[in-house]
Amino acid sequence: MTQRLVEAFDANFFSLFTAEVTLFIGLILLILIPNLGKGTFRLPGTQARIPWFLGGQRYEWNANPRLPSLIALLIMVSATIQMGMRVFSENDAILVHATGDASVRILSANPFSNLMEFFFFLALTLVILASINRLDVKNPKDKSISTLYNNRRQADFYILILTCALGMSVVALAENLFVLFVGLELASFSTYILVAFNKESKAGSESGMKYFIVGSAASGVGLYGLSLLYLWSGSLQIDILAEAWAGIGQETLPYVALGLVLVGFGFKISAAPFHFAAPDAYAGAPSTISGLLATASKAMGMIGIIKILLVITQPEALEGSAIWLWTIALLSVITMFWGNLAALGSDNPKRMLAYSSVAHAGYMLAAITAAGLWNISGDVSAQDDAIQASRTVLAAILFHLGVLIAFKLGAFLVLSVLEMESDVKSSDAIAGLAKRSPMLAVAMFIFMLSLAGVPPLSGFLSKLLVLLGIIKVAIANSASSSFLGMDVHWVWGLALAMGVNSAISVYYYLRVGVVMFFHEPVESRQGPLPRGSMIRISIAICVILTVGLGVAGEFLLDVCRSAADYLMPMMRGL
Amino acid sequence: MLDDFDVITLILLLFPFLMSIVMLTITGMVSESSRRKLAPVWRMVSLGVSMALFIVASMMFTGQIGGVDWTGIGFNEYEFLYQYEWISSLGITWQVGLDALSFPMVWLTTFLLPVTIIATWDEKKGAVYHPLILLMGATLLGVFVSLDLFMFYIFWELTLIPMFFLILKWGGKDRKYASQKFFIYTFTASVIMLLGLITMYFSMPSNTEIAMDNAGEYTGRTFDLLEITSIAQSVNAGGIWLENLHLIIFAMLMIGFLVKLPAAPFHTWLPDAHVQAPTGGSMLLAGVMLKMGAYGMFRIPATLFPHALEHFQFILMLFGFVSLVYGAIVCLGQTNLKKMVAYSSVSHMGVILLGIASMQPIGWAAALFMMFAHGIISPMLFAVCGAFKHHYHSMEIGAMRGMAKHSPWLATSMMFGWMASLGLPLLAGFVAEFLLLIAYWHEFGWWILGPGLALAITAAYYLWSMQRTIFEGGEETQPPKEMEGKPIPDISDMEKVAMLILAGFTILFGIFPAIALDMMSDWTVTMFQTLFGGA
Repeated sequence: MTQRLVEAFDANFFSLFTAEVTLFIGLILLILIPNLGKGTFRLPGTQARIPWFLGGQRYEWNANPRLPSLIALLIMVSATIQMGMRVFSENDAILVHATGDASVRILSANPFSNLMEFFFFLALTLVILASINRLDVKNPKDKSISTLYNNRRQADFYILILTCALGMSVVALAENLFVLFVGLELASFSTYILVAFNKESKAGSESGMKYFIVGSAASGVGLYGLSLLYLWSGSLQIDILAEAWAGIGQETLPYVALGLVLVGFGFKISAAPFHFAAPDAYAGAPSTISGLLATASKAMGMIGIIKILLVITQPEALEGSAIWLWTIALLSVITMFWGNLAALGSDNPKRMLAYSSVAHAGYMLAAITAAGLWNISGDVSAQDDAIQASRTVLAAILFHLGVLIAFKLGAFLVLSVLEMESDVKSSDAIAGLAKRSPMLAVAMFIFMLSLAGVPPLSGFLSKLLVLLGIIKVAIANSASSSFLGMDVHWVWGLALAMGVNSAISVYYYLRVGVVMFFHEPVESRQGPLPRGSMIRISIAICVILTVGLGVAGEFLLDVCRSAADYLMPMMRGL
Repeated sequence: MLDDFDVITLILLLFPFLMSIVMLTITGMVSESSRRKLAPVWRMVSLGVSMALFIVASMMFTGQIGGVDWTGIGFNEYEFLYQYEWISSLGITWQVGLDALSFPMVWLTTFLLPVTIIATWDEKKGAVYHPLILLMGATLLGVFVSLDLFMFYIFWELTLIPMFFLILKWGGKDRKYASQKFFIYTFTASVIMLLGLITMYFSMPSNTEIAMDNAGEYTGRTFDLLEITSIAQSVNAGGIWLENLHLIIFAMLMIGFLVKLPAAPFHTWLPDAHVQAPTGGSMLLAGVMLKMGAYGMFRIPATLFPHALEHFQFILMLFGFVSLVYGAIVCLGQTNLKKMVAYSSVSHMGVILLGIASMQPIGWAAALFMMFAHGIISPMLFAVCGAFKHHYHSMEIGAMRGMAKHSPWLATSMMFGWMASLGLPLLAGFVAEFLLLIAYWHEFGWWILGPGLALAITAAYYLWSMQRTIFEGGEETQPPKEMEGKPIPDISDMEKVAMLILAGFTILFGIFPAIALDMMSDWTVTMFQTLFGGA
């Protein structure tokens, strides 16, 4: 793997980041095109009117309310394809540094960031595709008003989605925690508005508000943590911080800062006990947006966690475990139990999916714990094994984040079809779905089984990979600790907790199947479902990915592995 | 190429699988009214597919396909082996093959599929039922033919899905509770088993230490059962494989299998699932699905961790003994016919466990034959229960009396099934029980009084229930209230065919047990010698 140094905004810069530039162009197009019209202005003092094409009555070709969605779709698909090509063909890392100073790093495009961006763009493409059917406003009195309204509203929606994509790419690319934070906030602010986008519903505004307040509080705490880190090391650049951390002495400041930063990211991945806003937000937001929160937005938080915990605070090889090992282990166990137990008691399918998302955050934190353990064996001969183990865990996390898009988003999209009728507030909404639309019910059931981790679906493969990783680490480090008298490291207990939780979760996932297949549809939902052909297409894509990646996920796994390989040397001591 | 039949196991597995998927997809796409028209078509197609499977499996049995002589196939020798690379980075292969342990189970599955379809021919179940039965069969075949732990686990879990739907869609009154309990209970146990498997996977030495053909590029280990077995055996010859972990891994694997079997404290899902399941589901559940547990015990923990098996021998014996006695005693108290039969399955699974715990080649052969014999007899019991319910609309033992007079065919089938199950000589069940008692005496001596007594209780509950349904009443017959005034029907022609087939094979394997027993005993003897060296 070669590293190329590029100066920010020099001649090569834009050709290297074509996907992100595409997004930017898309943003400009989305702002411009719906506003083009027969607008004129009068030259002062004369009667002459000069057309200047902005505002006024719109032309026929850009008055179509579908136009913004088509632009957004086009842009997003092209960005996804470009990013896909980068993921599957390029293995180089590009480091962007500040003008004139090669030691100040800003961004870095590498296998890891490429992969994450690919996931983000894929998820957002599916969201855009599904949203096409979701935004129509019908004003029975005046068709032209509803067209106008639609046009504006849709442009807003897709502008927000694209800024969200841009923010997420910045998070993935960031080489400096402050840049990362800026990207995070850009994406978060877009999602705050998107959550409340359905102004008509009370739940929407309320949940948007709640999500915004809790989210900004968490961001504030995180930012405070970052400022303390800056105070301590004099820089927020990731490699400088990592170096400083390696030489850490008896200080409290960096630990306090680490804790505060973790709160900020913990909120993003909805880990307990920072998850309280998540169920409300998911339940009140339009389902497509809930799906976005549960997949791309969560993956974004995970990047932050990986960069901070695994890149910065990883100790030198053979030096002992990471400082946060017990904390994160405890957090992961609490998160998975809390998520699953709360999901057991939720009747609203959207809340249930929200809590299941919390539980999945717990599984990922368990994997992070295992990855943080890689170098404590204290035995040089076993080090290769430990490194391999850590690589497995990392690849497993990335793979999980990827396939989660297929089945988690897919499940929300199915609910989204139902939401076109009326709000989804309880399990009544999905009752008898099999009678009304067998294909949708089967798709939903596949998503549920995949979430539960039933083979051969991709959810099983990802859960298996995480378990494989954790157990591998536990056995590779068996010399340093034991679990219940067994000759394995105590992180093995996390695998056990995951097993127990998978078993608990089966109940509520199966219940969805039971309600869909064997309950009678409620009275208000008797007729045929709304068509929503675009949503159905995206659901079909999700089903294909869910099954396909489970049976033949090897190629994605390879990509995840090379991304993990890139991260590994950044972890200290390699 | 007629002499190269190795791929046949794969066809045996994929053909029903793809057929059922095709049928289900078509059903999903057509409208409600044409779905009703599809039902009889699918019934015919499913019967055709399963008959074809049965014929192929039978020809493999007799050696006409592949020319295999099943007797004399030793432990760790496989026929029709077929391997294909799957997820090479983790050392996962797509490997199928047959030996004397799995082949009887494969044959049994292909045998039960058409019989199940025939026995429930007249029940109006809609267009999804028969494809699901076929899917069930395909996943069961998958469990028995896979020789890769990952693939094994996948099929192991897949069996739950069609069965979940069979119970949920066509089950009795409490079907929701029963199906969910069934799914969650066995899924939980399987997850524990999976943890055990993975722990074993990573405790194995990697390919940097020993040569391996299918090691994952990434993990350096393999899920290939054949390779794991040979590694384990080379270590076990002089010591104990994975000495520091072998007991716990063995226990975790056994939890998965004991729940599936089910053994006494873990059996509570079974009566619920059985009582609520439709007849076809019960027949497959009792006939083949329960045997997955015993099959798995032989295939994985016993093969890989013989020393742990020795260590836990007494505990396993206790589990088996408790299942046997507890199942039998609970049967005595049952008023529901199907529940009684379900508990009798628990009791018979205890016999299998005793056979495994006896640690004698002959006891293991008895366990294998019990799996086989119970696989033919218990579907007959459930077919009888199904017919009883179908015609008398009740499952209570006292609901129908004097059946011999009104429904001689059903009464005869019931009597035959009950007799076969309680171990009447010259019927298949007797052979297994007899062999077991021999092995038990060798190993545990006078403890034999325990199972002996339990078998007497078995006879008691069967005879008592027969007395209350077939004979009692004489002149004062008591047909159920709903039936009053109507003519009391006997079983239909298709049901008669199914009963005759089942009874015929029960007699066949009772009089000539050697057809199946020879290959089983050859296999168990070599297994015992390989694992423990010498007799």
